[in-house]
Amino acid sequence: MRLFFVTDLHGSEICWRKFLNAGAFFKADVVILGGDITGKAMVPIVQRAGGTWDAALQDHHETLETEAEIERFGKRVMNRGYYPIRVSEEEYRAMQADEDLVDKRFKEVMLEGTERWIAMAEDKLAGTGIRVVACPANDDVFEIDDLLAGARIVETGDEDHPIELDGFTMVSMGWTNPTPWHTFREAAEPELAERIERALAHARDPSTTILNFHAPPHGSKLDNAPALNPDLSYVSGGQALRPVGSTSVREAIERFQPLLSLHGHIHESKGSARIGATLALNPGSSYEEGVLQAAIVSIDPKKRKVKTYQLVNG
Amino acid sequence: MAVAGEAPTLFLRKATGLVKGWSKFDAFLYSFMSINFVTLGLFFSLSVLGFVPTGQILSALLITGVFMTFLVITYAGLISVMPRAGGDYVWQSRVLGGGIAFVLAITGWWFILWYWAPVYANILNVEVFQPLAALFKLNGVTDFLASDNGLFVVCLITVALAGVVVSLGMETYAKIQKYCFYLGIAALGLVFLVMLFGSRSGFQSAFNQESAKLFGTTGDTYAKTLELAGGNKVVPDLGFSPFFGGSLLLIPFLAFWILYPNWGATLYGEVRGASDFRRVMSGMMWGLWVTVVIAVVFVLLAAKFFGWQFFNAANLAYWNVVYGTGQAAIPIWPYPPLLASFVFHNTLLSAIIVLVFGAWFLGWAGTLFLSSTRVIFAAAFDRILPERVADVSERRHVPVWALLLMLVPAVVVSALYAYTTNFRTYILDAVLVIAVTFFGTSIAAILLPWRRKRLYESSPLARYKVAGIPLISVAGTITALFLGWNLWKWFADSLYAVNNKTSLVFMGAMYALALVIYLVAKVYRRRQGIDLNAIHKEIPVE
Repeated sequence: MRLFFVTDLHGSEICWRKFLNAGAFFKADVVILGGDITGKAMVPIVQRAGGTWDAALQDHHETLETEAEIERFGKRVMNRGYYPIRVSEEEYRAMQADEDLVDKRFKEVMLEGTERWIAMAEDKLAGTGIRVVACPANDDVFEIDDLLAGARIVETGDEDHPIELDGFTMVSMGWTNPTPWHTFREAAEPELAERIERALAHARDPSTTILNFHAPPHGSKLDNAPALNPDLSYVSGGQALRPVGSTSVREAIERFQPLLSLHGHIHESKGSARIGATLALNPGSSYEEGVLQAAIVSIDPKKRKVKTYQLVNG
Repeated sequence: MAVAGEAPTLFLRKATGLVKGWSKFDAFLYSFMSINFVTLGLFFSLSVLGFVPTGQILSALLITGVFMTFLVITYAGLISVMPRAGGDYVWQSRVLGGGIAFVLAITGWWFILWYWAPVYANILNVEVFQPLAALFKLNGVTDFLASDNGLFVVCLITVALAGVVVSLGMETYAKIQKYCFYLGIAALGLVFLVMLFGSRSGFQSAFNQESAKLFGTTGDTYAKTLELAGGNKVVPDLGFSPFFGGSLLLIPFLAFWILYPNWGATLYGEVRGASDFRRVMSGMMWGLWVTVVIAVVFVLLAAKFFGWQFFNAANLAYWNVVYGTGQAAIPIWPYPPLLASFVFHNTLLSAIIVLVFGAWFLGWAGTLFLSSTRVIFAAAFDRILPERVADVSERRHVPVWALLLMLVPAVVVSALYAYTTNFRTYILDAVLVIAVTFFGTSIAAILLPWRRKRLYESSPLARYKVAGIPLISVAGTITALFLGWNLWKWFADSLYAVNNKTSLVFMGAMYALALVIYLVAKVYRRRQGIDLNAIHKEIPVE
C-alpha cells in the first residue's frame, strides 16, 4: 500500500489540484490531506465608480477593467490560498468596520471553497480506484465537517470515526494543543489526551495502526517553530526555534507505538523522526508558493512494516 | 475609509502562523555580525593591504560594496520566492537539480567548515589569547600559543565553543549574539573615540613605551616597524586614485570578509508581500553598508591616529614573519584595539578592551556549525544521508549525530593543521569553497524565472523587472560575474596565496567525496524503491 500524505494546504487551489493528481503521478493508492484545508485570508476586489475594480495582492495594487482580468487575478489569489471576494465600496467599508461581517463572509467563502474542492475530487478521482481522505484540523471551522462527511468520494475521519485502509486502521485527530492564535480546534493537554484515548480505542493493534494527528509530538524536531514575542512578531528574526508540539501526542506515540504517525501544523518543521518503533513524519507546507510538500510512504501489508518513505516537494 | 484608487487591504481571520514578521534590526544584526568587521575584516582583509602596493582601499571598499549589493538583492529575492527553503541547498536543488545542489551545498556548508575551524581558531588566538598573554607578560603562554600544541588547543577550544552553541540552540545563541553586538559596538565606539581624539605623536610614544614594557623592545619601535616593512611607502597615501587598476586587486582580499551578508535571514511569516522582500533586503543591505561605512571610518581614523604607513607596515611585517619572509618589531599581530589601548598605559584597561572586543568573536564564531546542522538535516530528510544523522537527543534536543559529523572531522583537521606544516597549505582554498556555493546559488537565481516559472510568478518578486528582465536574473548575473571574477583571481593570481595546486586538488577531493556520497545514495535508495529524482519533481496541475 502506498500513501501520499500532505497537510496544511490552507485554501491553495494549485496545491489541491496537484494533490488530486498526485495519486496517479506517484502511483499512490491513497492520498491523504491531514488538515487545515481552508484559507486564512480574503482579498477584496472592490468595485469603483466607473466600473473598474481595485485589488491588491502581495502589496501590489492593481486596477482591473475586464472580466477576464478579474478572473485571472482571482485565480492568482486562489493559488496562494486566499479567497477573492467581489465587493462594492460600501460593502468593503462596512466589512472594515464590522468584524462580524468579515467572519460571516469568511465562513461563506470557506464553505463554498470546500464544496468546490470536493466537487473537483469527485470529477477527478471517481472510478480511478485512488482513495482520497481529507480531515479537518485546528484552522478549519466546524461547519466544514458536515460537508466532508457528506462527500461521496472524499472520505474523512476524526477521533470517533477511524478509516480502514487495506487492513490498517487510520485514526485521525485535528485538534491541537493551544496556539497563540486561539484557533477553532485547540484544547489543553489533558483534554487532548482524552481525545487521543477516544481515538486509540478504535485501534486494534499498534502494527496496523496509522495515526493522523495534526499536532506533531513535542520535542520530535517535527515541531520546531519560530519563537514569538507577545505581539506575534518573531523573536530574533525567526532564527530562534522552539518545540511547540503536543506532549499528549508524544506520550500516546511512546505508549502505543503505532506503525506510522502522520503530522502537520508546523509548516516549517518538515522532517522525519523515530519515536521508539514508530516512524513519525511531517512533510511541512509551502502552500503559498504553490509547492505541494508531501510524504510518500510504502507499507508492506503482509509484514506490517513501513518499506520506504520519502519527503517530496511536488 | 476607502478612497477611489486606494489599494484595498486583505481581511485576515484568526489562524495559525499569522505573525507580524520580524524587525529590520534582527535581519540587520545577523547580516552585520556575519560580515564581522573586527574578526574577518581586520584580520583577513585590512591587514593585507600592503601586498597590493598600488591599491586604494577606499575605492576597493566602495566597489566591493556596490557589487555585494547585488548579492544581497539575489538572496533577498530567493528568500521571498522560497521563504522556508532554508538556504542554498534547497534553492539550488529546486532549480539546478538535487545532485548539483547536494555537491555544492554539502561542501560549502558542511565539509568546508571542518577546515574553517582552524581559521576561526587563528582569529581567536591573535585577537584574544595572544594579546591577553602579552599584556600580562605571560611569555610562556605567548610562546605556547604560537606553538603547534598551542594552536591545537585553541582549535579545540573553538570547536568546543561551536559545539556548545549547537547544543544550546539558536534561541539561546541569538540572545548571546545580541549582547555581543551591543558590547562589541560599545568597545568599537570607545576605540574610535581614542583614535579620533588621540594624536599620532601620542600613539607613537605610547607604542614605543608599551612595546618596550610588554615585549622588551628598545628604541623607536614605531620607526623600526616602518623600516622592517621595507620603507616609508608600503601603500599609497589614502585617496581614491586609482579607482580601478590596482584597487581592483584588493577586492578578492575584501571578499574573504564581506561575502556573507546573506547569512541568516531565511524565514519569514505567511501572507507576505513585496514589503517583506524589501524588509529582508533592507536588513541585509544595512548590514552590508553599515559594515562598509565602519570600515571607511576605521581606515580614516587609522590613517590619522596610527599613521597609514605604520598601520600597513606593522601588518605587512606580521605576515612576513608568518610566511617566513621577514621580521617584525613586535612578536604578535598588531591588533588595532590593542594598539589603541596603549595610550592608556594601563594593563588592566587594555585587557578589558581586548576582552570586550572578544564579543565580536563570540557573536560570530558560534555560527561555525549552526548552518551545517540545517544542511545535514535537509540531506537526511531527502534520504541522501542516513535518517539517523538527523536524530536529536530526547532530553535536550541536541542533534547528536549531526554534531559528531561536524566536530570529529573538525578535530582531526585541526590536529593535522596544527602538527603538519604541509596540511596548512592544503586548506588555503577553504575560503573559496563557500564562494563556489554562492556562485551556484546565483546561477540558480538567474534561471529561476524560467526553470520554476510557476513558483517565481506566484512570488512578490515577479513584479520587479529591469528593462523587462526579472530583477533576480539581473542581480544574479551581476553576482555571478562578481563571484566568478573573484574565483578567477583567487585561482590564477599567486598574490592571494590560495592558488596552491595541492590545495586545489585537496578541495577538489571534497567535491568528489560529496559526489560519491550522492551517487551511492542514489543507487542504494533506488534499490529500496526510492527515486531521489522525485524529490523536486513538480506534480502536474491540470
